[in-house]
Amino acid sequence: MTIYAMRQGLATNIATISGLRASAEIPDNPSPPIAIINLDTIDYNLAFNQGLTQYNFVVTVIVGRAAERTMQRKLDAYSEISGSQSVKLAIESDRTLGGEVQDLRVERSNVVGSITINDQIYLAAEFTVTVYA
Amino acid sequence: MAKYVVTANTVTLNSQDISSSCARAELVINAAEVDVTDFGSAGWTEVIGGLKSGTVSFDFHSDFGSGAVSALFQDLVGTIGTVTLIAGNGTAPSATSPRYTATVMVNSFTPVGGAVGDLSTFSVSFPTTGAVSYATA
Repeated sequence: MTIYAMRQGLATNIATISGLRASAEIPDNPSPPIAIINLDTIDYNLAFNQGLTQYNFVVTVIVGRAAERTMQRKLDAYSEISGSQSVKLAIESDRTLGGEVQDLRVERSNVVGSITINDQIYLAAEFTVTVYA
Repeated sequence: MAKYVVTANTVTLNSQDISSSCARAELVINAAEVDVTDFGSAGWTEVIGGLKSGTVSFDFHSDFGSGAVSALFQDLVGTIGTVTLIAGNGTAPSATSPRYTATVMVNSFTPVGGAVGDLSTFSVSFPTTGAVSYATA
C-alpha cells in the first residue's frame, strides 16, 4: 500500500464523523472543523525483506476559532474514547484500511490548544496514529 | 562483501519462507569442552573439542492469517523441522550469502503474548539435531 493510499484510508475513516471534514493532504486554506493527515516518521525494517514497516501519522484536528465558546466542548468530544464524535474510534473503525495494512491504532492525543492560520487563532488537537504495513 | 546491516536475511521453516514475519534470526553452533588436564599440564587446564550442538532462535511478528507464521507453528510443537537461514541479506546461497540448514526440534511456541498497545510478537529457540550444513551455492 502506498503512503498516499494510507492517507486516503485514514481520511475516509475520519470522515465518518458527522460534521468533520478530513483532508488526506495539507490544504492551502483549511476550513474548520477539519482533520489534516500528516506523515511524521517511518520506521523501516521491522522484519526481514521489508516484511513490516511502521508509519507514524499525526492527525491534526482543527475545530474552530478559539474565541468561540463551544469549540472547547467540540474538541473534548473529538478527544473522547467513545461516542459518535470520537476521532480515535473513527480512525480505528477499520484497522486495516480496507485490508491494505496490517493494523493501526491511535496511540495518544495531544491537545495543542491554539494555533494560528491566516491570522486567525484556532483550537486544535493532534492524534498520533501508528500504522503497521 | 563488506560489513552489512541486517535487513533481509532469508528464513524458511519446512520450506516455507517466513522471512517477512521475522525480526531476528540467530544460529549458534557450539562444541563441548572436554577437559584433558593432567599432571603434564603445567598448572593449566587443557580442553579439546567434544560433541557439537546448535541452537536457532527467532523473533516473529504474530500472524494468524491462513498460511502465516503463527498458523504454521501451531501444529509443529513436538515435531522435527528443517530450518534454513541465508545470511548476508541473501535470497540464494552464495559465497557472500551462505545458507545454513539445520534440523531442529520444535519444542515450544508462544501463540499469545504482548502487553496492551504492543505489536504482538513471539520468540522461539530450538535445539538442532544432527549436523548443521553450510552451502555457498
